[in-house]
Amino acid sequence: MSEPAVAVTGLTKVFPVPLQRRSIVAVRDLNLRVDAGQVYGLLGPNGSGKSTTLKIILGLVSPTRGKTEIFGHDSSRVASRESVGFLPESPYFYKYLTAAETLRFYGKLCGMRGERLSARIDELLELVRLTEARNRRLRGFSKGMLQRIGLAQALAHEPQLVILDEPTAGVDPAGSREIRDLILDLKQRGITVLLSSHLLEQVQEVCDRVGILANGVLVREGTMTELLAVQNQTEVVLEGARPELLTQIAALATNAGARVIDQRTPQTTLEQLFLEATERSGDASR
Amino acid sequence: MKDSAHRALSFGRISALTANTLTELTRLKVFYVLLLFALLLIGSSAFMARLSFQQEFQVLKDISLGAMSIFTSLLAIVATARMLPQDLEDRTIYTILAKPVARFEYLVGKLAGVLLLLLISTLLMALLFAAVLFAREYAALAEVTRQMSSAPSEQLHDAVQAVRNATFNPDLLPGISIIYLKACLLASLTLFISTFATTNIFTIVVTVFVYFIGHIQGTAREFWLQQNGGTALSRIFLGVVALVFPDLQLFDFADDVVAGASIPFTLFANAAGLGCFYTVLYLLLSTAVFSGREL
Ligand SMILES: Nc1ncnc2c1ncn2[C@@H]1O[C@H](COP(=O)(O)OP(=O)(O)O)[C@@H](O)[C@H]1O
Ligand SMILES: [Mg+2]
Repeated sequence: MSEPAVAVTGLTKVFPVPLQRRSIVAVRDLNLRVDAGQVYGLLGPNGSGKSTTLKIILGLVSPTRGKTEIFGHDSSRVASRESVGFLPESPYFYKYLTAAETLRFYGKLCGMRGERLSARIDELLELVRLTEARNRRLRGFSKGMLQRIGLAQALAHEPQLVILDEPTAGVDPAGSREIRDLILDLKQRGITVLLSSHLLEQVQEVCDRVGILANGVLVREGTMTELLAVQNQTEVVLEGARPELLTQIAALATNAGARVIDQRTPQTTLEQLFLEATERSGDASR
Repeated sequence: MKDSAHRALSFGRISALTANTLTELTRLKVFYVLLLFALLLIGSSAFMARLSFQQEFQVLKDISLGAMSIFTSLLAIVATARMLPQDLEDRTIYTILAKPVARFEYLVGKLAGVLLLLLISTLLMALLFAAVLFAREYAALAEVTRQMSSAPSEQLHDAVQAVRNATFNPDLLPGISIIYLKACLLASLTLFISTFATTNIFTIVVTVFVYFIGHIQGTAREFWLQQNGGTALSRIFLGVVALVFPDLQLFDFADDVVAGASIPFTLFANAAGLGCFYTVLYLLLSTAVFSGREL
């Protein structure tokens, strides 16, 4: 089996509370493995330890016990960050820089320069659809735009692994749709994505595998299909079925020892409705 | 996977951080300090019209070097104090340190940005100072030549020479370099304190505190040695104090420069060496504290 993109073994993180005896256990004995090419979603309510886990994987916070690795390199080593890009939770960048200057700055931090860097900046701006805003200062950027420049910054050096902390939080539905499309695009290109979220339905469509954290403990883990399949049930969606047909189906099912337990008109999602409505009025292009 | 390609210390990464810090600082309009300096010089030269030219140049140098020393020191402390806390508070630091950037590189890059800003400011102030000095010299020479138009040429020559001597003093240059190095030391000290401080006010207060201790410690040490004699224990204690609090009195020879005394080379070299030593020392201490810090 090939080397995992991220391996977390026996990870525990305890934050001491200043001036108090007790301390907060943010992550408790966590084991996690993200295979290369997967989109992995770390889910859980606020304060369940998602951000802490991601920060430890990136070497920004040190673990109390256990260890984390990126492609086999210990997170405590600076070199482990050569192959990873990170978008923190509600990121702030230098407000006095323009979009292009911001990407140039981060590109240089990744060791890029010259022609290659300039070409990459154009590419990234195109990718996150900020070419129009390339010479605007971040001071005036909307939340969605900041999130996109953050994503571009994370992708600067074409990392094999991208870690995104709450990438769609606080972004409007159109912006959130765009970010999810970008994630799917990364997946297409074989890039591993590890993301955290508390917005479950948004994660559902992009993730191959999810882990659910509660109070720092991994309570569930598995592929989307494994976790969400309702055992023993099958959904049939029909078009143009007359009532007689439905009665016949019910009879057939009973004969075969099965049972129809629900019958309803499928509904579009509110998100779909929102996107269609705003798309038409031209708002979604912003 | 770029395995062994990672370089522990990269000039490219550090210079990116340095350039960015410099941009940030210039956009914060810290250069208003320089405007203040210019106003002070121009204002004071208006007031000096009533003095004799020897006195005038004396006062001009005194004010200029004094103001330069205060302004660069202030600039060093104020520009550095908020640098690290700001990046931590805005969480910009996550995006930077999630790149293959070592914490040492981050601190070196940031500090270098401040030192560069201080260098530019010091040079601009020195330039302004030189410009005012030469303008006054020109005026004084014109005045002398006019007053002594009927005097013998030898006397005129002497008088002109006297004006020239009163204005230009080769010791101004080492004097100004030491002012710069002292500001570098203070910037590095401020950075160090900001690695463990909880608020900017704390950083500034502690830095100013160390600044004053640094200024009186030389005198205090002599006094102590007189009182307690040179026992081994007191020497060790004083050694430790001297290591933590740099003897800033050694940097204050602006007064001698103004008085026209020449600075002995050893004194200059001593102060310059000390300035560099403490700048590096505080940077290393900053790295030691910052490396262990949770973000
Ligand atoms: N630097 C810190 N100091 C003290 N406690 C912290 C720190 N960072 C996180 N915590 C605590 O750890 C727990 C998990 O936080 P976090 O990882 O941010 O959760 P999530 O990202 O899932 O919302 C929370 O109880 C939080 O208060
Ligand atoms: Mg979080």
